[in-house]
Amino acid sequence: MELIDNLALGFAIALSPYTLMLAVIGCFLGTMIGALPGLGPANGVAILIPITFSLGLDATAALVLLTSVYYGAMYGGRISSILLNIPGDEPAMMTTLDGYPMAKSGRAGDALVISGFASFVGTFFATVALALVAPLLARIAYLFGPAEYFALYLLAFATLGGLASKNQAKAAFASMTGLGIAMIGLDNATGLPRFTGGNLHLFDGIDFLVAIVGLFALSEVFLFIESGGRNTAIGIKLGKITIPWRDIVATRWTLLRSSVVGFVAGVLPGAGASLGSFLTYMMEKSIAGKKGAFGSGVAKGVAAPEAGNNSAAGGALVPMLTLGVPGSGTTAVLLALLMTLNITPGPTLFADRPEVVWGLIASLMIANFVLLAMNVPMVRIFVRVLSVPPAVLLPGVTMVSFVGIYSLSGSYFDLVLMIAFGIMGYVFRKLSIPTVPVILGILLGNQMEDNLRRAMILSDGDWTFLFSTPIAVGLWIFAVAGFTAPFFLRRLIRTPKGIS
Amino acid sequence: MPRLGDRLFGLIVCAGALAYAVSALHIKVGFMSDPVGSKTFPLIVAGIAGLCGLIMIVRPDDDPAWPKGSSILSLGICIATLIGYALALKPGGFLLPTAIASGILSWQILPDRRLALIIGTLLSSGLFLIFKYLLGLSLFAFPRWILL
Amino acid sequence: MSNFPVSNFRKVLIAPLFTIIAAGFSVSAPAAECIAPANPGGGWDFTCRQIGKILHDIGQVDDPVQVTNMAGGGGGLAFSHVVNERKDDSDLIVAASQATATRLAQNAYAGMTADQVRFVGAIGADPGVIIVAKDSPFQSLNDMVAAIESDPGSVAFAGGSAAGGFDHLKVLMILKEAGFTDIGKIKYIGVDGGGDAITQTIGGFTQAMTGDISEAVGFLKSGEVRALAVLTEERIEGFEDIPTAREQGIDVVAVNWRGLYVPKGISDADFEAWGRRLQAVADSMAWKEAMKANGLAPFTKVGSDFQTWVDGVIADTEALSREIGVIQ
Repeated sequence: MELIDNLALGFAIALSPYTLMLAVIGCFLGTMIGALPGLGPANGVAILIPITFSLGLDATAALVLLTSVYYGAMYGGRISSILLNIPGDEPAMMTTLDGYPMAKSGRAGDALVISGFASFVGTFFATVALALVAPLLARIAYLFGPAEYFALYLLAFATLGGLASKNQAKAAFASMTGLGIAMIGLDNATGLPRFTGGNLHLFDGIDFLVAIVGLFALSEVFLFIESGGRNTAIGIKLGKITIPWRDIVATRWTLLRSSVVGFVAGVLPGAGASLGSFLTYMMEKSIAGKKGAFGSGVAKGVAAPEAGNNSAAGGALVPMLTLGVPGSGTTAVLLALLMTLNITPGPTLFADRPEVVWGLIASLMIANFVLLAMNVPMVRIFVRVLSVPPAVLLPGVTMVSFVGIYSLSGSYFDLVLMIAFGIMGYVFRKLSIPTVPVILGILLGNQMEDNLRRAMILSDGDWTFLFSTPIAVGLWIFAVAGFTAPFFLRRLIRTPKGIS
Repeated sequence: MPRLGDRLFGLIVCAGALAYAVSALHIKVGFMSDPVGSKTFPLIVAGIAGLCGLIMIVRPDDDPAWPKGSSILSLGICIATLIGYALALKPGGFLLPTAIASGILSWQILPDRRLALIIGTLLSSGLFLIFKYLLGLSLFAFPRWILL
Repeated sequence: MSNFPVSNFRKVLIAPLFTIIAAGFSVSAPAAECIAPANPGGGWDFTCRQIGKILHDIGQVDDPVQVTNMAGGGGGLAFSHVVNERKDDSDLIVAASQATATRLAQNAYAGMTADQVRFVGAIGADPGVIIVAKDSPFQSLNDMVAAIESDPGSVAFAGGSAAGGFDHLKVLMILKEAGFTDIGKIKYIGVDGGGDAITQTIGGFTQAMTGDISEAVGFLKSGEVRALAVLTEERIEGFEDIPTAREQGIDVVAVNWRGLYVPKGISDADFEAWGRRLQAVADSMAWKEAMKANGLAPFTKVGSDFQTWVDGVIADTEALSREIGVIQ
């Protein structure tokens, strides 16, 4: 069977001592980053990309290391949610709703174990599903021409702006900002500069790594400085850690349902892990009804969002690898990594670079077991991380960001540009304008424009060509539906208390 | 007037979109122009962005909590420090600028100058050791003229 | 695809370690530097890293060659750096390829010209190729030309370079050679690399792909596509069943060579020394293996021979670009 052969190839790569070592290092770093308040998978991976890149790791190695960080940070995100009531990032937000009350009532250890196990189940399911679904999706590659790709990119922006945000105008503006920035540099089709002001540094466009680190990591530093260091740790005692078997058995159906829903949410381009944890929590809450006592610190309320967001994290890899369209902020960052490594994600990836894809999938399976070990028996190590004082942590994060970008280009220009993106990220976040669409725009802008232009060359300028195949029309319908759905959904789902 | 943040920002967005569109109109046209050309897509982007700006003006969200005096000062110091750091990193070598910059940042979070000095020094030397010897990045500890 | 070189990982891990250790001991004479005018991972980076490594391994240079990535302006930033700041540095080599020549010919380096540096040599090349889907009605290059002559819009080409780039020029050269003059009518879309161009062709969105043969090896082996012609003087080893364009009466040779240039101001003795070193790399087993692993065909031209040849290529490209209007 082809799948078995492919997996064998993958495990041959993943089980080499070197790759294995990278996966373990990645898991450790990732969990640590996830556990730090305010740092999540997207900014964690963003900070580490430039450094990985300067190390000259080959494609598979770099990808294994950083996806391990990604998965690790998804696991680690629950630690600060549960112990401090501070989510490391948006997907971990739902975990605070029951995790923190549980910790306050003296069951911090139980909450960490249950959520750790839920993360494992979610990730396991997602990785298996990824191995099964991704190759199937890869085969539809030949059905995608310029018109279809254009519609697909539109779908990514539409769902990101619709399902994953509160204010469509702001999300659309963020997308346009990214697309507008992507236009800077030499025009692919004519080789003439656009929006460069004659500055040679801008001829190759703005490096998305500069934008990512500025928007995600530096803006976090600015927000923290503004808050005057309010987010300090309060001492929740972590008692003896035992395994609450009864709770785990009781949550078995919750785990399964949440894994499935989370994965599907992750596969949707642009939706991602936040939607995964939100949907699963709301679903379990309504299944449990009033007796479920969600919000007062119940096991299911911790298990559902953790299984959901970890499964969504895996699901988000599907559109990223097969179609080159990321499903979340973090996968957008990973897409940036692939592009800098000269790997073109998308349909041909599975045929051209099977070692990259299957090495990655196999590594993720192994990483998941490593993460279970790190996050249940060894969770104390990471709880310690929470006691790093911000006065050390934030300058540290800033310096790592600077050195990472500096080691890429060695120019002060990129550093100043990164600071500008940091300020922009700060302003955007104050005004609740999402920053992920900006990154997505910078990443996909040129592709989107190129495909539009290719479509028009092929059709001799006939705009109806964009709607000329069933796939293209289907994608347009989904895009419109995805962007407008929240208007209707908002009436159906009431936002839970504590989330504004 | 309430909800000033969004209204003001919407105005800036509209102005920015207009400037972007004007600048797009001045893009040099290439040799073999395709049906879409170099200007169309940027113009569409500017158009939608401008529309979003208008919506922000007409239907603004509630204002966020803007930083107060001391926080603004902290932020200003922080940004100025980072820009200075960006400019100093190449001519000044790694150690000294990093120590000063991380010291100042740390001082903005915890107003204790002695502690900031210690944190700055330790962070700078620690990161240098990690980057240079563990990860093998090419960094210079001191300004290059010291080595010559 | 089961022969993925797992052992390479170890090499990759160990190589930087050695570099670091070695760099720690070398205090004396400056080591040679190779500038790759692009980010790590591309063809220029490959040229620098492979040639640099082999130069050291076979003892042509004492210290490991230091590779510097200087991306920007499609190689223009590195070119200007060499012309303005390193013009007599005899320890400097810079990776170059057909793309360098094409851009110089099309004046894409802000007025800088080919005679501001010296081209040392090329030691490998990726042959040009024209590819169609397996069920395409075209059986030969001449079938395709005939179809274009009767309806220029009926055949769209996909290639990995931008419009006006080398992949596009290959098509134009072929049609011009075949006597079709209205080359402004030819449909060409530039996509992200040869793999994508082939996918578009298999999917039927374009009717033919123009590119390098290394980009098509996997697809040719699996039988999803056919090659109508390779653009070399002789048939290529390993692909003996693909006819050359020349055999089909269309005399076009277009290969994407990989080589080096050095600053203009170095002495003739230094220039010849680099030529000898490059020749030694070309003759080494390690380079032959590297070429095989990366789909390159042997193509060795070194020294003044090469300079003459490059000048010819640039002049031809310039004339063609002027004719189709890429440059005024």
